[in-house]
Amino acid sequence: MWNWDYTLLILPQILEALKITVSATFVAFAVALVVGLILTLARRSDFKPLSLFAQGFIEFVRSTPLLVQLYFIFYVLPEHGLSLSPFIAGVMGLGLHYSTYLSEVYRGGIESIPPGQWEAAKALNFTPLETWRKIILPQSIPPVIPVMGNYLITMFKETPVLSAITLVEIMQTAKMLGSHSFRYLEAFTIVGVLFLVLSYSSSLMVRRLEVRLNLR
Amino acid sequence: MSVPLKVIYNEESTKSIGNDLRKVAVQPIVNYSNISKSYGDLQVLRNIDLDIAPGEKVALIGPSGSGKTTLARLLMTLEEPTSGTIEVDGEMLWHQKTNGKLVKANEKHLHKVRGNIGMVFQHFNLFPHMTILRNVMEAPRNVLGLSKEEAMERAVTMLKQVGLANKIDAYPAQLSGGQKQRVAIARALVMRPKVMIFDEPTSALDPELVGEVLEVIKAIAAEGEMAMLLITHEMDFARDVADRILFFDQGRIIEQGSPKRIFNNPESERLQTFLSRFNRH
Ligand SMILES: Nc1ncnc2c1ncn2[C@@H]1O[C@H](COP(=O)(O)OP(=O)(O)OP(=O)(O)O)[C@@H](O)[C@H]1O
Ligand SMILES: [Mg+2]
Repeated sequence: MWNWDYTLLILPQILEALKITVSATFVAFAVALVVGLILTLARRSDFKPLSLFAQGFIEFVRSTPLLVQLYFIFYVLPEHGLSLSPFIAGVMGLGLHYSTYLSEVYRGGIESIPPGQWEAAKALNFTPLETWRKIILPQSIPPVIPVMGNYLITMFKETPVLSAITLVEIMQTAKMLGSHSFRYLEAFTIVGVLFLVLSYSSSLMVRRLEVRLNLR
Repeated sequence: MSVPLKVIYNEESTKSIGNDLRKVAVQPIVNYSNISKSYGDLQVLRNIDLDIAPGEKVALIGPSGSGKTTLARLLMTLEEPTSGTIEVDGEMLWHQKTNGKLVKANEKHLHKVRGNIGMVFQHFNLFPHMTILRNVMEAPRNVLGLSKEEAMERAVTMLKQVGLANKIDAYPAQLSGGQKQRVAIARALVMRPKVMIFDEPTSALDPELVGEVLEVIKAIAAEGEMAMLLITHEMDFARDVADRILFFDQGRIIEQGSPKRIFNNPESERLQTFLSRFNRH
């Protein structure tokens, strides 16, 4: 059944692929953080076309599966002159998809700011931009960092879907190893254990962070 | 009361000399002209005309829901008037002239005129994520564009004036209500507005903390040059500080005059009823 020699043989290759998985997670998360904030601000804009566009984008992205979006970015866009590497296409797709969820997180943080903060900022004659930068965002973001952390973990667990657009992350690596040797047990077990260990330890960290933020 | 209220006030100002002559001669720092404000069907302010002279201390008294806060919020640009105009230092606040036509002011215009006005809120509204010093120096630094050193120097001077120089590195959550309000006063003063609004600055405070805040406001008032619009339920305080008292009810200025006149010889029945409630306590 379980072969330890074989396990040790394939482990370095899977760990190598883990680097791709982890970096895809972090880059996609960064995309989601930035685009999510832009979407939140756009949705609150007084300029109607902009807020409608943001709203529409969010609805569209949420109502279609990530896999379809990835296929679209990776296989359809090149037909229209935009060819992207699997990594770029993958982090864009994953990042944009989760930006709509992070936008909701930002929104919650912003809406929890009492109106008096906006009013005090206006009474001191801060410009709208200064009000966002100095008063509103510095107060809205820290409380939602744990929720953001949980999305980071969710995105990490979602990365195997990127194997569908040929990104050689750990899932794809395990599949290839399996089809070479006709042994799937070890490769997939290693992948599962790696996901378990990393997700679980990260979620413990998030929980610690949450406690610390609550104490403040 | 069918007599136009402005007439009552002007009559009085010609009778008394000195202080009031200045008001007639000098351009008012604030002028409300035929201001009305409605929320849906609810009319909160009805055709208000009001001039405030530079340096004048005006106290606004009246029952709850009469529109005092709304009047102040229109001046702070937190709320837009339904009709009428407000001028600050001779300039339209909510309107601007473009090609000779009066149009709604844009954010740039509002920003320019708003710089003349400061406000202290009932619930302080300090920035909880900043130290006391940063609460006070952030606006001079960013809005007035002062250097860090200048902004800090001004902020420290201001905090000394309100008696909180030793709390510079504390956060708002570590202060008592009275201390918070004094920081809020310093934060508004440091911008050197020409008009300062105080909207019930002590009504969120525990009774034993009211005095320290009123003392600070009195000291500022005594300095003179800044006009003040004081909304308050502290009648003794209004009497001590104000040059003029306005009695507000149902969105109108019912009666106005010197503190002595208002408190000793209230004319309208509504003011008499209103004051009798305070005298009983
Ligand atoms: N944003 C709003 N929407 C609807 N109604 C409002 C709004 N703000 C104020 N009002 C109403 O306008 C009226 C006047 O309110 P305002 O706060 O100006 O009174 P006030 O004289 O300051 O009273 P208080 O002494 O209780 O502070 C009240 O009936 C109030 O309910
Ligand atoms: Mg009020």
